[in-house]
Amino acid sequence: MSPSIINSRDFFPYLKASPSNIIYFDNAATTQKPLPVIEKISNFYSNKNSTVHRSVHELGSYATEEYEKVRIAIQRFVSATHSKEIIFTSGATESINLVASAYKQFIQPNDIILVSPIEHHSNLIPWQILAKERGAIIKKIPMNNDMHINLEGLKKILSKQVKLISVHHVSNVTGIAQNIKELVKEAKLFNIPVFVDGAQAAPHIKINVQDLGCDFYCFSGHKILGPTGTGVLFVKSSFLDSMKPYKTGGQMVSSVGFKESVWEAPPLKFEAGTPNIAGVIGLGEAIKFINSLNIDNIAKCEKKLESFLGDELKKIKGLVVYGEGDRAAPVFSFNIEGVHHYDLATIMSEKNIALRSGQLCNQGIMAFLGVEGCVRASLAFYNSHEEIEIFITTLKRVIKLLQK
Amino acid sequence: MSLKTRVSNIIADFDFFNSWEEKYEHLISLGRELPELKKEFKTDAHLINGCQSKVWLHCVCKNKKLYFYADSDALITKGLVALVVQLYSGVEANEILSSDIDVFSKIGLRSHLSMNRANGLKIMLNTVQNYSLKYYNE
Repeated sequence: MSPSIINSRDFFPYLKASPSNIIYFDNAATTQKPLPVIEKISNFYSNKNSTVHRSVHELGSYATEEYEKVRIAIQRFVSATHSKEIIFTSGATESINLVASAYKQFIQPNDIILVSPIEHHSNLIPWQILAKERGAIIKKIPMNNDMHINLEGLKKILSKQVKLISVHHVSNVTGIAQNIKELVKEAKLFNIPVFVDGAQAAPHIKINVQDLGCDFYCFSGHKILGPTGTGVLFVKSSFLDSMKPYKTGGQMVSSVGFKESVWEAPPLKFEAGTPNIAGVIGLGEAIKFINSLNIDNIAKCEKKLESFLGDELKKIKGLVVYGEGDRAAPVFSFNIEGVHHYDLATIMSEKNIALRSGQLCNQGIMAFLGVEGCVRASLAFYNSHEEIEIFITTLKRVIKLLQK
Repeated sequence: MSLKTRVSNIIADFDFFNSWEEKYEHLISLGRELPELKKEFKTDAHLINGCQSKVWLHCVCKNKKLYFYADSDALITKGLVALVVQLYSGVEANEILSSDIDVFSKIGLRSHLSMNRANGLKIMLNTVQNYSLKYYNE
């Protein structure tokens, strides 16, 4: 049986055999893993374990070949021009840190880095540190109340002084997508590089970095059916040579003298040390799984779940969902009048429904919304209509219990 | 009342309820019955960090005994901190410091009432220990 959007759920051991029948609505935190991914990793360690880019024996070439095949698969997945533009990292967080570090030399005192005020902490803190180290200034991208970037406002603050813009593609709180294409268009007028955090976009919509026009794009493997500790960074080829390595060691050098060394060509220049080979190969299998379902089918399927859940949430009195309009990901963060988010998530968990509560690693958006925290339900294509029905019934019951 | 007796009383109270709903309702009602924490102590200095909800814990020492006053903005957390108060308020610092009790895993509320970061139980208990150390050394 080959996986398709119809039978996809059957491929997830956790969903099929979950002893406690957990309804897993925390997919924005991490997704469950399909069997082919689990088996690929297990098979690698059982039968093919070897390191990459070093040993000439047969197993070593197998590992290298598989590892590099994944690079090409990812290149196609995000529509990059060259496979060398794909760098493997440990996750979106490391991807951002890599660029923040490798990009240091291009930032001078009083330069400006623009970041939206509603970024996940991992797309804020590395830039804060970079700005502090270089005496640069970090400034907010103006936002509309509906949490879309205010392009007119942005245009007004763009200048030659701005040396980088970093922004999320899809919000981890609202599931709403930013208009990256338009933003890039404006940024290019001043030659400003644009970094896009795609951690919440890649699992849900087709990514085309050439069409978006951005210079950097990243996502995490574990949010897209792959193993934890894997991530992707796309770097437009024009930046690859000038960027300095972020970590150094084995594999990333072509010649080493006692006082000086010459770096390997990119992408290996950025992949010092033995990489997460089994993880990357597992990630390749996850991409293969997604390709066989087809990302457009995934988006369509999720749209149905999203509109059903959205409609049901609207019917609940006193419930406020954050973010308006079309969602690129089936992600809903909300609060209920008179109910604390922590209480709600705790009791829902007691009823086997996995949600996330708190500040969602995004204190910026909480401040923007003027709330202390919220509850988030984030779905994936393998969730079902029935699960949403149970979720809504339970939610109503729990609200009653807590509002007593 | 010794700490031991307090522990068995709390466990017996929870045992009285069968369903998780009732147990939670009991926990929540404990929070509601908690004496109000005076506004002057509801400050950042008394705020326990690291919970998803806000918890304030204030302590005074009278005749070697520690008295705890607390509040929270969430019902469950307020119930938890009420249990902490019920356990330790009126107990001498040295008894708190030499005790090693585990009541929270025995009250029949599963998953989230374990020592996870979100509910801040561990930090509440650490705060109690810190107050005890402070007053024991004074």
